[in-house]
Amino acid sequence: MAFVVGENCINCKHTSCVEVCPVNCFYEGPNFLVINPDECIDCEECVPACPIGAIYSEDDLPEDQEHFLDINAELSDIWPQITEVKEALPDADKWDGIEGKLNYLER
Amino acid sequence: MPTQRKYQPTEKAQAFLAKVENAKYDRGIITGLKKYIDKKVSEDMQDFYSEEELQVLIDMKNTDRDVEARMPVKITNHYYQIAKNSKAVQTLVKASPKETFDLEGAPDPGNQMSYSPIEGLIHKYELGLIYVINTCSAHCRFCYREELIAKKEILREDGTVASKGLAKIPELVNYIQEHNKLVEENGGKHPETNREKLREILMSGGDAMVLGNKNLAEWFSALADAGIESIRLGTKELAFYPDRFDRTFFNMVDDFHAAYPEVQLRVMVHFNHPDEFLQKDDNGNYIENPEGGLLWIENTKHAVKELADRKFIIIENQAPFIKGINEDPNDIRIMQRELKRNRINNHYFFCGRDIIGHKAFNLTIEDAWKLLNDSQKGLSGVEASARLSITHYLGKTEVVAVTNEPIPGIPGTENGVVIFKLLRGTADAKNKGQVAIVGRNPEAIWFSGYEDRVIIDEAGLFTESMKETSSVS
Repeated sequence: MAFVVGENCINCKHTSCVEVCPVNCFYEGPNFLVINPDECIDCEECVPACPIGAIYSEDDLPEDQEHFLDINAELSDIWPQITEVKEALPDADKWDGIEGKLNYLER
Repeated sequence: MPTQRKYQPTEKAQAFLAKVENAKYDRGIITGLKKYIDKKVSEDMQDFYSEEELQVLIDMKNTDRDVEARMPVKITNHYYQIAKNSKAVQTLVKASPKETFDLEGAPDPGNQMSYSPIEGLIHKYELGLIYVINTCSAHCRFCYREELIAKKEILREDGTVASKGLAKIPELVNYIQEHNKLVEENGGKHPETNREKLREILMSGGDAMVLGNKNLAEWFSALADAGIESIRLGTKELAFYPDRFDRTFFNMVDDFHAAYPEVQLRVMVHFNHPDEFLQKDDNGNYIENPEGGLLWIENTKHAVKELADRKFIIIENQAPFIKGINEDPNDIRIMQRELKRNRINNHYFFCGRDIIGHKAFNLTIEDAWKLLNDSQKGLSGVEASARLSITHYLGKTEVVAVTNEPIPGIPGTENGVVIFKLLRGTADAKNKGQVAIVGRNPEAIWFSGYEDRVIIDEAGLFTESMKETSSVS
C-alpha cells in the first residue's frame, strides 16, 4: 500500500510534496516525480501539499491511471531521491489538467 | 513574531547532519480493509479476516459505525507474522465491529488543544510533546490519538475547526527559546503559567521511528541546539518493525552523541503483551533460554540490545491495559520480568482513555488496578516499578490502591474505596501528591463513574470544572 503520483504531475513537477514527506520517499525524473511504494508509510501529507491534485491513495487511484502503480514502483528504483523543493517546470500552469500526458513522460 | 519557514541548522548541526545516511525499509505495510476484500493481500494473509468478519465491516462502511473512519487499519509484515499465532495481537491490530457499537467519548481526549500554544506541540508539565508524524507502521485499534491518525477535525481554542497539524522545527525552536528565556528572566518559573524550563521534548505522533534518519537527525540537532537536555522518542516500532533499528540508525545516534554528549535519548517503547517480543513453540508456549530467561524474537532482541548498550540511551516501556489484549496477570508478569532483564524499565501502565468508542477497549479502573497488582506478585522490587496511571484533564493521576474493607464510620465506603493521587499537574507541580478517595464502583471505566461517591477530593479531580470537559456523548 502506498500513495501514487499520477499523470497530472507530468510536465508540472511542483515538488511541494517532497518537503512534507517525512520519509523522503520521492524520486525525481526529468519531468515527473514518483513515490517508492515500499518506503511510503501512508501518512497522506503529500496529497494536500500537491497544488494540482496529482497524488492519490493507491485505493483511490482512478481506473484509467492504474498503470501509474507500476510506473512509480519501477522509476523510484532508478531515479535519484529528491528532498528539497525546487521551482516547478516553466510551463507547469499550462500543462495542469491536460489529458494524455503519459506520452510526454521522459524516463 | 515571524519565524523562519525553513530550519537553518547551526554549523555544528550541519557537520553532524552531513554524516547521516537514510536507509530503505521494506515494512510490507498493508493499509485498509479493501486489500483483504479484493484479495490483493498475499495468499498467506487471506484468512486474516474471515469472509464473515469482512462482510460485517463492509456493511458498516460509510455509516457512522464505519470502523475505518474511526481508525485506519494498518499492519506490517513483521507484526502480521506475530499476529497469526497470537489472539492478543489479533485483538490489538484487527478491526472489529465492537469498536463502534457505542461511540461515546471525547473528540479530543485529554483536552489537548487547550495545552497547544503552537501547532503540533502539547505543552504540559515541564515536558513538551510534539507530533512529528501522523501515522505508525501499524495501527493499534485502541489508539488514543485516533483523532490525529484518522485526521479528524477538532474544535480549537479559538473556535475554528481543523484537523491536528504536525510540529515544524523553526516554530518549535522559537517557542522553546522564548519560553526558556522568560523562565530564566523570571527566576526559574514562567511568569504566567508558572511552568519550569522546557528541558525535555517527547517526539510522538504517530510513531517517531517511521521518520527517516535524516529527519530524525534534524529534529535531534535542532532540539539540542535549542537547549533541550533529554529527547524522548515515542515508538512502537520494536513491536511493529524492529529492523528499523538498523546500522544506519545507530550510526546516526552515535554521531549525534559525539556532537551533543550531554543530551540523553529516552526511548519510550510500547509493548502491550509478551507475544510481541517472545518466541513461541508449536504449542504456543514461550521457550526457555538455556542461558536464562525466555527466548526473544531475534531481531527484536538485537534492536533492544543495541539500544541498551548505549549509555546515553534509556529505554522505558509504557502501555495501556486493554480488554481482550492484556488482561491476564501472568502475561503482564512475564512481560515486566523479561523487559527489565533486557534493560527496558517498566514505566507506566495506563487505564484506557475516554476516546471515541472507549467502551470497547477499557477495562474497569478497579480491574486494571487488580491486574497490575496481581501481575506484580512474585516480581522483585526493581521489576515491579510500574505504576497504574489514568490521565485526568488536570494531569497524570495514579490509581494508588483499591481496598476491600470499609472505612469505619464513613458512609459510602461500605464496599471499600479507591485512592487516586495526582502525579503531576498539567501546568506547574504545586498540586503534585494530592489525593482523592472515592467509594468503589466496580463498573467505572472513567472518572465520571465515581462522581456520585466522592469521599475526599483534595486533588480536585471531581470538581465542576472537570465535569464540563469530561466525556461527551
